[in-house]
Amino acid sequence: MTIERRIALLGQPNSGKSTVFNALTGAHQHVGNWPGKTVERKEGRFRHNDADYTVIDLPGAYSLSANSDEEIITRDCIASGNINLVCILADASQLERSLFMLADYAGIKIPAMLVVTMVDVAEAQGKQVDVTKLEKTLGIPVVGIVAPERKNYGEFYVKLEESFENPRLVDSRRLQALFQSSDGNGAYKKALSLVPKEGAGNFSGHWLASKLVEGDVLAARMVDSLSGGKAGMDFSSNARDGNLYTSECKFRWIEELLSDAVTRNKNVSGVLTRFDRLAISRRWGKLIALGIIALGIAASMIVAMPIMGIGLGLPKAVGPLVMRLADAGVPSWLAAFLNDVLVNALSWVISMVGFVFGVNFVFGLIEDVGYMARISYSFDNTMSKLGLQGKSIMPMIISLGCTIGGAAGTRVIDSWGQKILTIALVWAVPCGATFAVIPTLANAFFGWGSILVMVLLFLIMFVHIIVTAKIFGRKLSPVAERTGIIMELPPYHKPHWKALFRTTLDRVWGVFRKAFVVVIAVAALFWLLAYSSDGDASRTVLYKIGTAIEPVTRFLGMRWQAFIAFLSSMISKEAVLGVTSVLFAGGGTIFSATARSTAADSGIGAILAAAMTKPEALAFMVAVTFNVPCLMALSSTYQESHSLKWTIRIALYYIFTALLLSCIVFHLSKLFF
Amino acid sequence: MKSLIELDEGSLAVISSIKGDRRYLSRITSIGLNAGCMIKMLQNVHARPVLVFGRDTMIALSREESRNIFVEDAAK
Repeated sequence: MTIERRIALLGQPNSGKSTVFNALTGAHQHVGNWPGKTVERKEGRFRHNDADYTVIDLPGAYSLSANSDEEIITRDCIASGNINLVCILADASQLERSLFMLADYAGIKIPAMLVVTMVDVAEAQGKQVDVTKLEKTLGIPVVGIVAPERKNYGEFYVKLEESFENPRLVDSRRLQALFQSSDGNGAYKKALSLVPKEGAGNFSGHWLASKLVEGDVLAARMVDSLSGGKAGMDFSSNARDGNLYTSECKFRWIEELLSDAVTRNKNVSGVLTRFDRLAISRRWGKLIALGIIALGIAASMIVAMPIMGIGLGLPKAVGPLVMRLADAGVPSWLAAFLNDVLVNALSWVISMVGFVFGVNFVFGLIEDVGYMARISYSFDNTMSKLGLQGKSIMPMIISLGCTIGGAAGTRVIDSWGQKILTIALVWAVPCGATFAVIPTLANAFFGWGSILVMVLLFLIMFVHIIVTAKIFGRKLSPVAERTGIIMELPPYHKPHWKALFRTTLDRVWGVFRKAFVVVIAVAALFWLLAYSSDGDASRTVLYKIGTAIEPVTRFLGMRWQAFIAFLSSMISKEAVLGVTSVLFAGGGTIFSATARSTAADSGIGAILAAAMTKPEALAFMVAVTFNVPCLMALSSTYQESHSLKWTIRIALYYIFTALLLSCIVFHLSKLFF
Repeated sequence: MKSLIELDEGSLAVISSIKGDRRYLSRITSIGLNAGCMIKMLQNVHARPVLVFGRDTMIALSREESRNIFVEDAAK
């Protein structure tokens, strides 16, 4: 019979928690959101010696206070009682600081084990951690590991099983004694008198008392619901500076704990390396960051190239074979459907996955070695104005190349809300395809003035980003919850290539499966709308819709042809030239033009210049640029956000604003042209 | 006693008190900066967060909030 065990991983950011989670569960992960919260929920499974383990990766938080969604969820999870063991993680190279989570946990009545990560980094710094001594003082199993090295997890599994055979709680007696002896103003004693002696649920009395001293609302509510009074609330709302007092006790406890468990051969200097001096300097920091991001994009392309090559070559290689199905008796519309939708979708998704793989791998590497935090530091002042962390600059720059990569690049942002906000903003950044399409159009209408068109687009981009940050920031990064930067800059370490490669691969496989479904569904819908038995565009549903609502779209600055091209630009930006070419000059079908299997008429510029007025052209270019970037970006957004609701919300917002911008630009420019 | 923002680069100091709401105090102490913690100022320049070294960790702090962290100079 198999045994079911549930463990939770608890640790501060950068404690190696995600790495351990990935190493344990591999591809057996489910990522979603905590119900009603803008916090990512990660759960995974693994099997070891006839036992099935469910691993819950608790949100990254610095403590167990109840000041953020992350912390509240962690608390709820612990209170819920369906966790058998909590694995607390701490970074050996910064053990004193990193053990704060353990100190904050001490007093909770769920068995625990301590996993000390990055022992290799600590050793390189001349620090030796004696886990046996820690075990003795703490009373729980302790293991030291190098988190990315899965083959060295033997000792971890031994301690894990030991924790289940002989479950033990963190010994918190000494911590309680410190709380009592340093209790200058008697607050802790008073708090202790308010809580039940045996505690409540999974929380011990002294743990609840220390939280009351910190002014913790959840603890106060818990105490009051047991007593039926409101003494807990009264006490905690009057608590001032309680955190200063409790943190002093906790750090003293940690210092005592480590005094004979950690030996140092040399002192960590804390002096910046020469590179770091430059990487954080006012003059060079931003430039170096932008340079490394640019190099990162180039490297991502190189990594992606082989996979993208397969994707892009697929329609040519497989397309003719699929079309031959028609000879074998399959109805020709079905063969066309399979070729157009299935083959193209597969081609797009493979290309996209290639790029996502490249971006995740290369920027994962930059994060892994510790540089990403320097980018965050350098751009903090700029990005915090938008309600974002400094590292959000990275996805934005990637988006100048490709929005898919930009959305995928938000992976390194640790707050879910800020991640979605960043995605909502990167959509406004014109991507490489825009740069391929817009200059051709602009040149046809404005000649040298096309440079001004590009300038206009970038001006709109800045305004768009600022306005969108305001609109989406209200929910995703509420002003009241924004705090100034408090961030550690981890020491540089050597990359763990193998672990990085494996994690990226596991992740990208998930991307592929999800994206394929989304892309097939949307492509099929668009195919049906653009279908006519003889390929004549005027017999498609799109034409009927386009011409029926033309009075409206005309007001927005678009004739029916432009409006259909606008719609197709949501599938692929490059489609715009091809689709307008089909609609204005004939030849090919709308769908094949969208899928780029029909080339744009070489004289497209001249054709359009004859068919559209200048205000219409300008409005059209603005509408296309700020429309939904492409189907793959949509899918990449869904993949990163795990939220259909937010993906659709962002998409609808972009369609609406693109039309609005089109309308404004059309009517304004009519005054000039 | 002076505010963290007045501390010169390269100098050592001990945090003596921190002012702020509950949320901020919880956040700053849980990252390792509490009263009594010894720190070294690594970078203190205009328009960049201050960068300190404490408890074996390099930590960036917003300039605005660093005004409310008070320190005493410490000898080397």
